[in-house]
Amino acid sequence: MMDKLKLGVFELTDCGGCALNILFLYEKLFDLLEFYEITEFHMATSLSEGNHYDVALVTGTVSTQRDLNLLKEARNHSEYLIALGTCATHGSVQGSVELPIREKLKAVYGDGGDPMRALDSKPVVEYVAVDFALPGCPYDKEEVYQVLMDIAKGIEPVRKDYPVCLECKLNEYECVLVKRGLPCLGPITYGGCKAVCVRSGLGCIGCRGPLPGEVNPASEYEILKSLGYDDEYIIRKFKTFAGWEP
Amino acid sequence: MIIEMREFTRVEGNGKAEIVIEDGEVKDVRLQIIEGPRFFELLTLGRHYYDVPDLEARICAICYLSHSVASVIGIERAFGVEVPEEITLLRELGLIGEFLESHSLHLYLLVAPDVFGYPDAIRMATKHGELVKEGLALKAFGNRLRVVVGGREIHGINVKPGGFGRYPTVEELEEIERESEALLRLARRAVRLFAQLDPYGAKAKHFVATDGYLWGEKLISDEPGEFHYTERIEERSLVYSFAKQSRYKGEAFFVGALPRLLLKSEMLTPTARRLFEEHREKLETGYVSYNNLAQAIELVYSLERANEIAKTLLDRGIEGENVPVEPREGEGIGYVEAPRGLLIHHYRIDNSGNIAYSNIITPTALNHAMIEASLLKEARELYGEVDEGRMIGRLEETVRAFDPCISCSVHLVKL
Ligand code: SF4
Ligand code: SF4
Repeated sequence: MMDKLKLGVFELTDCGGCALNILFLYEKLFDLLEFYEITEFHMATSLSEGNHYDVALVTGTVSTQRDLNLLKEARNHSEYLIALGTCATHGSVQGSVELPIREKLKAVYGDGGDPMRALDSKPVVEYVAVDFALPGCPYDKEEVYQVLMDIAKGIEPVRKDYPVCLECKLNEYECVLVKRGLPCLGPITYGGCKAVCVRSGLGCIGCRGPLPGEVNPASEYEILKSLGYDDEYIIRKFKTFAGWEP
Repeated sequence: MIIEMREFTRVEGNGKAEIVIEDGEVKDVRLQIIEGPRFFELLTLGRHYYDVPDLEARICAICYLSHSVASVIGIERAFGVEVPEEITLLRELGLIGEFLESHSLHLYLLVAPDVFGYPDAIRMATKHGELVKEGLALKAFGNRLRVVVGGREIHGINVKPGGFGRYPTVEELEEIERESEALLRLARRAVRLFAQLDPYGAKAKHFVATDGYLWGEKLISDEPGEFHYTERIEERSLVYSFAKQSRYKGEAFFVGALPRLLLKSEMLTPTARRLFEEHREKLETGYVSYNNLAQAIELVYSLERANEIAKTLLDRGIEGENVPVEPREGEGIGYVEAPRGLLIHHYRIDNSGNIAYSNIITPTALNHAMIEASLLKEARELYGEVDEGRMIGRLEETVRAFDPCISCSVHLVKL
């Protein structure tokens, strides 16, 4: 039997969701383990034996010097590095707090210490080159399964190229933006989540970040304005997960 | 001399500890939360109330619904909104899903490897595959409840002030009724397994919980009287950690499954109550490590209660009506029992419905001083008696008993 690929999971500053989601694969995790051996994943195992990874999954934002060191280590010792989740690809919610770090620290901790050298939260992609970026807060777990399986079989994984809107159409969900006037970011958000929030009759809050390429944030902006939402509200909504400038 | 523990494994988030040795004795232990700060209160400041529960969910993936529900309750109290029983029962069902998901993750995947001597559950599965499978089945059912109520396994946005985006169907409720009954056998096995563990860590002196089993209007403790958190709990910043430390009347205290059982056993469902009585003596010693056993008993409680709720809702039928929410100036606190213990969301909201003040205190922050006290006691007992590797291994288990959630603990703010 061929040697298994070595897989490392590295968690920087985040909510733990993108790492946890891997454990939520259940039986599929065991399918993955036919091809992979997990040699670093501190949420799940006390073993830490890797100094070389065929695939490294990195979740979270770089928010401390420790995060940055860990990220560099993951990059330097891996063949294929995946920025996993919107924190890693776009900064997600903690990346959208705009005050400079000194002021943020002061607001929260007073004049106390800064034990780990906090940095402004930035996505992984701003510090190192990544081989694949899979956004989502969290990403859909089927996606990470597919990507890891593709890599194991020597296929370059494909990036989706359609917005959440398309998934509503495929699933025949009623459009909450047009029909109910809810603020929905579906038209400009990177699809792949099966429009799960629209399934609940709610507007997409953009947790997968913007779809790159042809989308038209300006027209989304106009639609929301015409529905009566004010500028400040729309801008904050746009910025929440991806620091997105309309 | 300082002995540095490496970063904790099999806990959520990034943390470690230092053991300070002076004159051949353990002088002090410092728990360091090294996860970066996440500034959630700053993030929600000035934002419209409707969007806030979805943002607060991102504090923690393991207990995202506890955060959404605490947030929603805080907001509703600020506006003076009351919701009918149907909505409270569904919220309860969601929180129960979270208990099942979180406790089984903790017990089967994070603690059981210590019991059987493996570095993780994946490697443990070669010999104890059945047990790992049972844990995963409970966890998957918990997640199923989170999908039905919360909208997704992680960070769903279905829980809203005044109600839900979508209400469950009859088929979903029937499935919940069936499954909860079928899984009960597994949860009882878990109680037997975790009842065998020897006690370790410190004995907690003070316990704090909400006055209802899963949430409340006020807090209760081992001392008489109900209170609001500001009356007895105080927070302070530390120079060596990104989490603040809280104290109850100046002392370390404990929140979580064990405190819940000790303070609220009369609210348990029948089998859970029987199991509590069976192990009462042990649990009442207050050793923090019995939190594991308490969580196993709560698995039983959760399944029995989920079954009751599904039955009730099926009998009376789901109306699926949201309560209208009119923003007005106000202040409200949401107290919820997250799987790991008391969670506090406190808001002031202005008359256009935007957040003007927010304070969030999470279970791990509340337990911070108690974790340190337990590490100190354990280190004093073991230092010089066993080799350093074994001591550190035991200290890690002590931390794990609290089921700490480090991501949660790093964004506490007073503004
Ligand atoms: S992207 Fe979202 S789910 Fe993933 S770690 Fe960040 S906050 Fe959590
Ligand atoms: S619908 Fe939007 S907010 Fe919901 S999961 Fe998909 S991308 Fe995220």
